[in-house]
Amino acid sequence: MEQDVQLVQQCLQGDGSAWEELVRQHNRRVFNICYRFTGNRTEAEDLTQDVFLRIYRTLASYRSAHGGFATWMTSVTRNLLIDHYRRTKRDRATDSLDDAMPVVENKESSAKRPDEQALLGELSGQVQSALTKLSPELREAVILRDLQQLEYGEIQRVLAVPEGTVKSRINRGRIELARILQQMGVRPS
Amino acid sequence: MNWTCEQTELLLTDYLDGLLSAAEHHEFDAHVNSCPRCTPLVSSVTHALATLHALPQIDPSSRLVYNILDKTLGPRETVTGWAAVRAWLRSVNPQRLAYGSVSLCAMFLTFASFTSFSWKKPRIADLAPAKVYQGADRQAHLVYARGTKFVSDLRVVYEIQSRLQREDQLQNNQDSTTPQTSPDKNPGTTDAAPASPKQQNRANDLVSRSLVLAAACPACSEGRIQ
Repeated sequence: MEQDVQLVQQCLQGDGSAWEELVRQHNRRVFNICYRFTGNRTEAEDLTQDVFLRIYRTLASYRSAHGGFATWMTSVTRNLLIDHYRRTKRDRATDSLDDAMPVVENKESSAKRPDEQALLGELSGQVQSALTKLSPELREAVILRDLQQLEYGEIQRVLAVPEGTVKSRINRGRIELARILQQMGVRPS
Repeated sequence: MNWTCEQTELLLTDYLDGLLSAAEHHEFDAHVNSCPRCTPLVSSVTHALATLHALPQIDPSSRLVYNILDKTLGPRETVTGWAAVRAWLRSVNPQRLAYGSVSLCAMFLTFASFTSFSWKKPRIADLAPAKVYQGADRQAHLVYARGTKFVSDLRVVYEIQSRLQREDQLQNNQDSTTPQTSPDKNPGTTDAAPASPKQQNRANDLVSRSLVLAAACPACSEGRIQ
């Protein structure tokens, strides 16, 4: 954490290598949040680039007293994901019409690239698919808690909501995810 | 306290994250174990959570970092010379670099030992392709000759061993097949097993013919058929 603060200071003084170091350290984490939220690799990479662009431009507004750099970065990522979600809502409405089509067409329309399928494996793919079916507010809570292993306090800062709301969203998100997985035929062994 | 299904659903996350007090935990368990609605709920959420925790971290493509740096710091300058080597070394995974270097050294050592390269008196001339070829060719022939000699030696040893074994076996067989006369042995029968009727008839026939022959010529047959 202290190292991050030091790197941010160096970046603000115009040190390009410090920025490169920050990007190298955190790009995987930001990419994973974006990927789990969108379920699409290309979209996640584009969003990761946008996140770092925004961080680069607003780096001066970061205050270490308000929390760690990783939490601040997660907060920026979350805001950008929500913006992206709202922007692409119309496209998804069209997709949901496609979802109502017969099963065969549905499978074709939701098919991922073969390399993605191989990468995820069957179960991981099903869980990813179930995650993207959650509402965005439940999805982000579950991703931050159960995939990024953030503490309740950190999630509270990232989502800017009271701790009770955070707990409630995580709880509802988990129950909803379990229900979707059961509907998909993924049952506890 | 009467624990309800609504409480179970409400406090499920606290239960799974270990945030309930001991008394609440006990009540929760007691209810879940006896409630047909809450048992599958807790089981399915626990399973979903375990599956989530098992999800792997995905690696972004290697060009992502460069794309971000290009967008933020601007296009990179072309680096040449030692700076390029240093930049390349920074981007290389140190573990892979170590493995690669070790395997390269091992390969070079094997190659050098296979040629006639001398470690005591190393000379650049020894690394000339013709010299290396000559050395490798010589080594290959030497290895082949040693191998052939080894195989032929093995064959000789094996043959000697098998002959000795055969002789021992013959000796043993001779000892065990020496006929033993039994005083009450009948003609045409063996000690080992009773003869078949056909064999017995043939033997009886031979005996009767011998007796006829003995009667005809007592001098020549005396002492043979008794």
